[in-house]
Amino acid sequence: MKTIVETFDLTKVYKKIVAVDRLNLNVKKGEIFGLLGPNGAGKTTTIRMLTTYTRPTSGSAVVGGYDIIREARKVRQIIGYSAQESGVDQNATGRENLMLFGRYHGMDTITLKARVKEILELVDLTEAAGRLVKTYSSGMRKRLEIATALIHEPEILFLDEPTLGLDVQTRVNIWNYIRELNKNGTTIILTTHYLEEADKLCDRVAIIDLGKVVALGTPKELKSKVKGDVVSLVLPLKELEKLKLNMAKAEETLEKQPFVKEIRSTNNRLNVYVNEKGERAIPEILRLLEKERVDVESITLSRPSLDDVFLMCTGRTFHNHEGETR
Amino acid sequence: MKFLHDVWYTFLRHLRNDLREPVWMFFGMIQPLIWLLLFTQLFQNVAAVPGFPTSSYIEFFAPGLIVMLAVFGPAYAGFEVLSDIYHGVLEKTLVTPVNRYALITGSAINWALGLALRVLIVFSIAYAMGVEVVTGFGGVLLTILIVTLLGLGFFGLSNALILVTKSETPLVVTANLATMPLMFLSSVMAPSEFTPEWIRIAMKLNPVNYAVEAVRPLFLSGFDWTKILVSLTVLGIFSTLGITTATLALRKFGE
Repeated sequence: MKTIVETFDLTKVYKKIVAVDRLNLNVKKGEIFGLLGPNGAGKTTTIRMLTTYTRPTSGSAVVGGYDIIREARKVRQIIGYSAQESGVDQNATGRENLMLFGRYHGMDTITLKARVKEILELVDLTEAAGRLVKTYSSGMRKRLEIATALIHEPEILFLDEPTLGLDVQTRVNIWNYIRELNKNGTTIILTTHYLEEADKLCDRVAIIDLGKVVALGTPKELKSKVKGDVVSLVLPLKELEKLKLNMAKAEETLEKQPFVKEIRSTNNRLNVYVNEKGERAIPEILRLLEKERVDVESITLSRPSLDDVFLMCTGRTFHNHEGETR
Repeated sequence: MKFLHDVWYTFLRHLRNDLREPVWMFFGMIQPLIWLLLFTQLFQNVAAVPGFPTSSYIEFFAPGLIVMLAVFGPAYAGFEVLSDIYHGVLEKTLVTPVNRYALITGSAINWALGLALRVLIVFSIAYAMGVEVVTGFGGVLLTILIVTLLGLGFFGLSNALILVTKSETPLVVTANLATMPLMFLSSVMAPSEFTPEWIRIAMKLNPVNYAVEAVRPLFLSGFDWTKILVSLTVLGIFSTLGITTATLALRKFGE
C-alpha cells in the first residue's frame, strides 16, 4: 500500500518539555491508524503538527505528498480535522456550521448545498440541522463536529479522541461512521486513550509514551508480543482478615514460580501473567494454592489486551495514570 | 478572489451571531450614555469659565464622548474570540485553507458596522439633548469614519491580546486600566488649553486625542481640513497596526 503520511524525526518542545520526541511514523493510504497512549503522551501535539496547526520544533512530515511546513496550505485543502473540543459554533445552527466550513474550503453553492444534505443524512442530523448547536446533546455535537471535518471530502481525516466522554451507545455509533468513511476510501488517523477503541477500530496502532513510539503494529501483532496469557483468580469475599491473609499468601507463593512473569492484585482479584500457555498454568496454580490452603472462588483465562502491551513496553499500566481508561 | 470570499463569509458569520444576540452590540454603549447624562449635569457650570470654547458643556462633551465609543466596545470583541478559542472553533478554522487576514478583517468589518450604529444612536440622543453639528450630514459621516478607524485599532489590539494570552483576565485588566488614561490624557473632557504641559505632550501620543481634535470642530465650528487629514493619517496607521498585530497573533496562535 502507498504511504500517505510520513514523519521524519518530528519533534515538538514546549518551553523545556519535550512533547513529541523524534517521532517516525508511516501511515498507509486507506488505513485507520491509531495513536494510543495515556494523557500527556504527545498524541494531540502530533496531530496538531500533522494538521499544520502547530509548527514542529524540528523534524518534518509529509501529508498527502505535501510538506507540512512549506506547503501548509496544500495540506489544509486535503485534510479534515476534528479536535477534542467541540469545534463548532454554539450560536449557529448545524447547517450554518457545515456551510461555513464548506465555504472556507472554497466549495461553490450548488456543490456545497448538495453535500450538506448528504452529510447531514450520514450523521443523522437532518432533522436537527436548523437548530442552534447549543441545544444539541453531546453525541449530536460530536457527530456535527465530525461532519464539519468531512464537508469537503478530505483524503485524510484526523480525529483527536473522537469518542472522549461519550456514552457507550454513542461511541459504537461513531465507530460505525468512522468505519463507513474508511470503506469509502478515507484514510483515518485518530488518537485515543481508550484501549478498546484502538483494538476494535484501528488497522494499525502506534503506542505512544512520553512523545515516543514504544510499539507499532496491528492490534493482533501487538498483543502477540505479550507472550503467554493472563490467569485471573477471584478469592471468596468472606472474612476480610482471612481474605487479606490469603491474598498475600497466594501472591507470595505464585511470585516464586518460574512460569509467572508478573502479578497484579486488586481487592479480591489476582491477575497472574504467565509465560506459558494459560491452560497449562491453571492446574499448577491451583495445586500450589491448595497446598497453601488458599480458597479460590473462580478462575478465568484471558488473552493479553493492549493494556498488557503497554505494561510490557513501558513498565507502567494505563490504569496507574488515570481513572477512566476502559 | 479567495481573500474577499473568505472576508465575506467570515463577516456573515459574525453578523448573523450579532443579530441573534443583539444585546452585546449595545453593551459598549451603556456606560458612555450614563456619562453623557451624568457629566453634562456635573460639569454644567464649567462652560461659564472664561476661555471655555462652548456656551454649554454638553456641546463640548458630546463629540468627545462619541469618540470614546471606540474605546469602550473592543473588549467585548475580544470576548467573542475567547469563546471561539474555548469551543475549539478557532483551532478547527485554522486548519482549513481560510485566509488568516480574512478571518480578522471579516470580523473587523462586522464590528465596525456595529460601532457606526452605536455612534449614530448616541449622536441621535445627544441631538435630542440639543447638540448640533454645524457641518451637517458630511460632518456626521466624517465623524463615523474617524471613530471607526480609531475603534478598529483598539479592536485589533484587543483581539491580539486575547490571541496571545488565551485568557480573559489580561484583557479585562488592560481594558479597565487603559480606558481612563486614554480619556483623561486627551481633550475628551476638557480643552487642551486647560491642561498642564505634560498632559499636552501625552496627548500627542494618544490616538484618542487625534480623533477628538478632528471630530470636535466638525460639531462646533466647521471642516478643519488640516486636523482632519492629520487625524485620518494617524488613525489609518493606528487601525492598520491593530489589525496587522491581530493577524500576526492569529498566525502564531497554534504554537
